[in-house]
Amino acid sequence: MTEVKKTYKHYVDGKFVRSESGKVYAIDLKNEKYEIPLTSKKDLRDAVTSSKAGFAKWNSLTMYNKSQILYRLSEMIEGNKESYIILLQDHGLSKSEAKNDIENSINTIIWYAGLVDKWEQLTGNLNPVAGEYFNISHQEPIGVTFTLNSNSISLDDLVKSFLPALTVGCSVINFSEKNAVIALKLSEDINNSDFPAGSLNIIAGKFENIVEDVGGHVEIKHAVIYDDISKESKTIIGEKGSESVKRISFQPPTSGLSSILPFIETKTVWHPKGK
Amino acid sequence: MNNWEYAESIESEKIVNIEKKYGHFIEGEFVSPNSKKYLDTISPSTEEVLSSISIGDEKDVDFAVNAAKEGVKQWSKTSPSERSKYLFKLARLIQERSREFAVLESLDGGKPIKESRDFDLPQVAQNFFYYAGWADKIDLAWGSGISKPYGVVGQIIPWNFPLLMLSWKVAPALATGNTVVLKPAETTPLTALLFAELCDEIGLPKGVFNLVTGDGTTGSHLVNHKDIKKIAFTGSTSVGKYIQKSLSGRDVGLTLELGGKAANIVYNDAALDEAVDGVVNGIFFNQGHVCCAGSRLLVQEDIHDVFIDKLEKRMQTLRVGNPLDKNTDIGAINSKDQLDKINELVNEGVNDGGELFQIECELPKNGFWFKPSLFTGVQANYKIATEEIFGPVLTTLTFRTPDEAVEIANNTEYGLSAGIWTEKGSKILWTADRLDAGVVWANTFNKFDPASPFGGYKESGFGREGGRHGLLSYLKASS
Amino acid sequence: MNTKLSINNTVDWTTTEDMVNNVKIDEVGVLDRVSLLATRSIKRESKLNALQKIISMCDLTTLEGEDTEGKIIQMSSKAIAPDPNDESVPSAAAVCVYPALVSTAKKTVKDSSVKVASVSSYFPSGQAPIESKISDTKFAINEGADEIDIVINRKAFFEGDYKKVYEEIKSLKDVCGDIHLKTILEIGELKTYENIKKASVIALCAGSDFIKTSTGKISNGSSREACLVMARTVREFQSYGYGMRGIKVAGGIRSAKDAIRYLVIINEELGTSWLSPDYFRFGASSLLDDVLRQIKKLKTNAYQSSYYFPRG
Repeated sequence: MTEVKKTYKHYVDGKFVRSESGKVYAIDLKNEKYEIPLTSKKDLRDAVTSSKAGFAKWNSLTMYNKSQILYRLSEMIEGNKESYIILLQDHGLSKSEAKNDIENSINTIIWYAGLVDKWEQLTGNLNPVAGEYFNISHQEPIGVTFTLNSNSISLDDLVKSFLPALTVGCSVINFSEKNAVIALKLSEDINNSDFPAGSLNIIAGKFENIVEDVGGHVEIKHAVIYDDISKESKTIIGEKGSESVKRISFQPPTSGLSSILPFIETKTVWHPKGK
Repeated sequence: MNNWEYAESIESEKIVNIEKKYGHFIEGEFVSPNSKKYLDTISPSTEEVLSSISIGDEKDVDFAVNAAKEGVKQWSKTSPSERSKYLFKLARLIQERSREFAVLESLDGGKPIKESRDFDLPQVAQNFFYYAGWADKIDLAWGSGISKPYGVVGQIIPWNFPLLMLSWKVAPALATGNTVVLKPAETTPLTALLFAELCDEIGLPKGVFNLVTGDGTTGSHLVNHKDIKKIAFTGSTSVGKYIQKSLSGRDVGLTLELGGKAANIVYNDAALDEAVDGVVNGIFFNQGHVCCAGSRLLVQEDIHDVFIDKLEKRMQTLRVGNPLDKNTDIGAINSKDQLDKINELVNEGVNDGGELFQIECELPKNGFWFKPSLFTGVQANYKIATEEIFGPVLTTLTFRTPDEAVEIANNTEYGLSAGIWTEKGSKILWTADRLDAGVVWANTFNKFDPASPFGGYKESGFGREGGRHGLLSYLKASS
Repeated sequence: MNTKLSINNTVDWTTTEDMVNNVKIDEVGVLDRVSLLATRSIKRESKLNALQKIISMCDLTTLEGEDTEGKIIQMSSKAIAPDPNDESVPSAAAVCVYPALVSTAKKTVKDSSVKVASVSSYFPSGQAPIESKISDTKFAINEGADEIDIVINRKAFFEGDYKKVYEEIKSLKDVCGDIHLKTILEIGELKTYENIKKASVIALCAGSDFIKTSTGKISNGSSREACLVMARTVREFQSYGYGMRGIKVAGGIRSAKDAIRYLVIINEELGTSWLSPDYFRFGASSLLDDVLRQIKKLKTNAYQSSYYFPRG
C-alpha cells in the first residue's frame, strides 16, 4: 500500500510557496505523514528580502491596526480550534493537553494584541536630565528578525516565538524544524488575518543547513533562538553574526515584558528648552 | 594695544601623588603582578613617563575573577540599601577629590583641564549618585521578572573618558548586585587606580571591585575566562567584533558600545551661529576622541559657503596646547599610535581630493598634537567620509533635501549618534524618527546625563548605558 | 545680499525687513556658549591689560534727577584722570549725562580725550512723538555732545511696527550726522534673544554706530548673553559688507571680573579689532572703582579700599 503524504508549503511574502530547490523532508505523525519543503540558502535569502519590505509595511501601520490584526489571528484560531486539537493529538498530546495548549495560545495572542499600543509606555521614558533640555527615550523595533521556534509540541510556544517581535513592530522569519506542521498549518490562519505581505514569514527545514547564513546575512538584524541548539551551531551563528555586530539571543519562549525587550532599540532624543 | 593674549593659567600638578609603580587591585588590596611585567604610562602632552603599571597575564586575571566570585557571595549578602550607601559614599569621595582626579585625567590622557574639571568629574560623581539610588529599587525599574544580577562582570573601558567610562560601567554593575573585574585602557590607567584606592577607603567588601591593568592581551584573558558571566566593552568596532566572536557558543552576556561616524545635519533654516558652536563642540570636544562625535557635517547645499565661513572663523578661536592650562580648548592626542592613525587618514583625505582647512596655531614641541581640521569638497566614497578618525577632524558633505540628508546620514555601518539643526519643530521630529542612531541631539550636541540612555544601533553596538535602560545591561530575566 | 549702504550708513527698509524676518536664534545654545566663555581664566599681564582697556572703554555715567553741575564736574574730572597716582591708568572714554548737563560736562573735559555723550529721544522710555525726540537730540548736539545715546521705540516694537522703529532711528541718525549714535535696545524689556537680535538688526540697518544693551533704568540691565547675541549680529552685519559697528553694554556691570568676561566674549566672537573704545564701551558708574582697585592689587599684591581713589 502506497502512503499518501500530505504536503504543506512555506508561507513567504503572503503566498504559499515550495522550496526553490524542490527538496522536501518528512514529518511522520501518528496518523498523518507530511512532506515539508526544506529551506535552502536561497529560500532564506528570499524570505529576508520579503521580510525587509514587510518590516516597512508592518511598522508603518498604526498600533490600533496592528493590534486588530493580532486579535484577528486569535479569532481565526478560535474558529479552527478543533482542527488544531486534532493536529496536536496527532503529535502525541492528549485531548485535554491539546485543548489547554490551544486556549493558552489564544490567550497569549490576545495578551500581545493588547500590548501593541502600550509597550512603549512601559519601556520608554522621559529622562530627568539636568539643564534646560527635553530628553526622551523613544523605543523602536530592531527590524528584520529571524526566530527559531522551540521544538516543543505547542501552538502556544510557537506563537510566543513570533509575537514579541511582531508586537514591537519587527517583521519575523519564523523557522520550525520537527514541529513545522503546526507552524505551517497556522500560516493558513495568518494568511486570513490581514498581515501585510512579508511581515510574518513561516518557513521550515533543518536549522543546521542555514545557521551560517542566518548569522552572516546582514539584513537579519536580530536572531532569536527559542530552541536548544548545539554548541557548534551556537558558535557558528555567533561568529558569523559578530561580523556585523548582530544581536543574537538565546532564550526559552516566554511572555511578559522581558520577552519584548530583545527586539527594541532605544533612541534617546535631546532638545533644548528655550524662548 | 589692541592685541590681547590670554596669559597661561596652569592648574597645579602638585595635588596629585603618582606612585612609581602600580600593582593590580584584587580582593581589596594592591598586589604585584604574577607576570612581573610592567608598562609605562606617559603624559601625551610631554611624553614624560608618569608611572609603570602592571601587565595582567592569565594568572593575574584568574586571581581577579576568583576574587570577584568570592565577592559575589559578600555582595549578595549585602542588603540593597547597604549597597546603595557604598555607592553614595563613593560619589561623595569622588566629589571631594575631584580636583585631584581631574588633574590626573588631564596628565595621563591629554584632555584639557576645563573638560576633566567641568565635564568628566561632575558627570562621574553624578553617575555614582544616580545609580546609588537605583540599588534598592531594582524591582521597580523593569519589574521583579527582570532583577537578577549576572554575577562576575568583566568590564573593558577605553582611553577617551577613562574615569567617566569606569563610572558608566561600575556604578550600574554594582548597583544591580554584580561584582566587577575592570580592565582600564593601557594608556590611561591612573584614575582607575586612584578609584581603587577609594574603594578601599570606604571599605567596599573585598572582591566586589577588582582592577587588572594591562594591554590588549590582558583584556583578551578577561574575555576568555571561564567564570565570567558577562562582558561589557566600550571601544573600537573591530575589537568589539573580536570579543563577540570570542564569546560565541558561550553563555556569557555581552553589551558593546563601539565606534561611530555621526552625521551632524545642518538645515538651511537653523540658527546658524548656535549650530556652528554645536558643530565645533560636536567634533572638537575631547580632541575628537569621542565615539559619538559629530564627525560628518551634513550641510544643506544652499548655506554651505556661509556656514563653512562661519565655522572656519570659529575654529580659529580654538586654543590648542597644554592640557593643564585652564584656557586650553584642545589638548593632546592620546597616544602616538592614535596620532599616526589620524595623520594617515587625513593624508589619505588630501590625496583623495578633499580640501583641508587647518587652523593657524603653534603646536608644542613635545607630545602628540593635531590641529583642528576641516575637510570640504569631500565625496561620499572617500575614506575620511566613512571611517572613524577619532580625532579633531571634521568632514563636510552636502545635501539638497531632508530625505537626502537622512539617506546620507544612515549610509554607514555605524549608528551611535546624530545631530539635527533646524528651527522647525516638525522637521526635527521627522528627521529624528528616520535616523538610525541611539542618541539624537537636536539643536544641541554632545550632551550627557546619567539619566539619559546611551548606546548604538547597527555596528555601533548593543545595550544601553545610563538611565533606567542602563540597568538592563546588568540584569537578567529570572525564570 | 545687497551690500550697498545709503547715506549715514543705513540699509534700505526692504533689505532690513528681510534680515529681521530671517532672524533665528537658539536660547540654550547662547547660554551654553556664554557659560563656556566664562571659564576663561585671565591672569597676570593679560588681566592688567584687560583692566586698563576696560577703563579706556568706560562711559562714566550719571543719569539722575538729582544730578547737579557740581556732580557732573566731579565725575568729568575723574573721567580724565581716574587714578591721579598712577599714570598708566588711561582716561575713561566718555561721560554720559542728560542733555541739560552736556555743556557743563563739555566745559570740564575741555580738550582731553574724554568725550561727552548725552542721552536723548526721551530717555529712558522713548514715549514721545518723533518731533520731540528730534528736538531733544538737536538740543544735546547744540550743547556740544560728541555722542548721542537714544532708545528704541519699544511700543512700536511690541506692536510689530518694526518699520516705525527703523524710521525713528534713521531720522535721529540724520540729525546726528557724523556724531556717534548709540541706540539702546533695552534688552530687559525685549526679554527674548530673538527680540534682541531683531532689534539689533533694525538699529544697525537704521544707521546706529553702536548698539547698546540698556538704559540702566530698569532692574534687568545688561547681560553677557545679550552681549553675545549683539556681537554676533554685528559680526553678521560686517560679513554682509556693511562695515564695523560698535557695542555698548550698560546696566548692572559693577565688578572688574564681570567686565573682563564681557571682553572675552568680544575677543572670541568679534576679535581683537573690536577691543577698542571705538567699538566697545561699558556704561557704568561703580565699575570704574572696582577696576582701579584690581589694578592696584595686581601691582601691589594687596587688596585695596575705595577711599584710595577720588570720588566720581
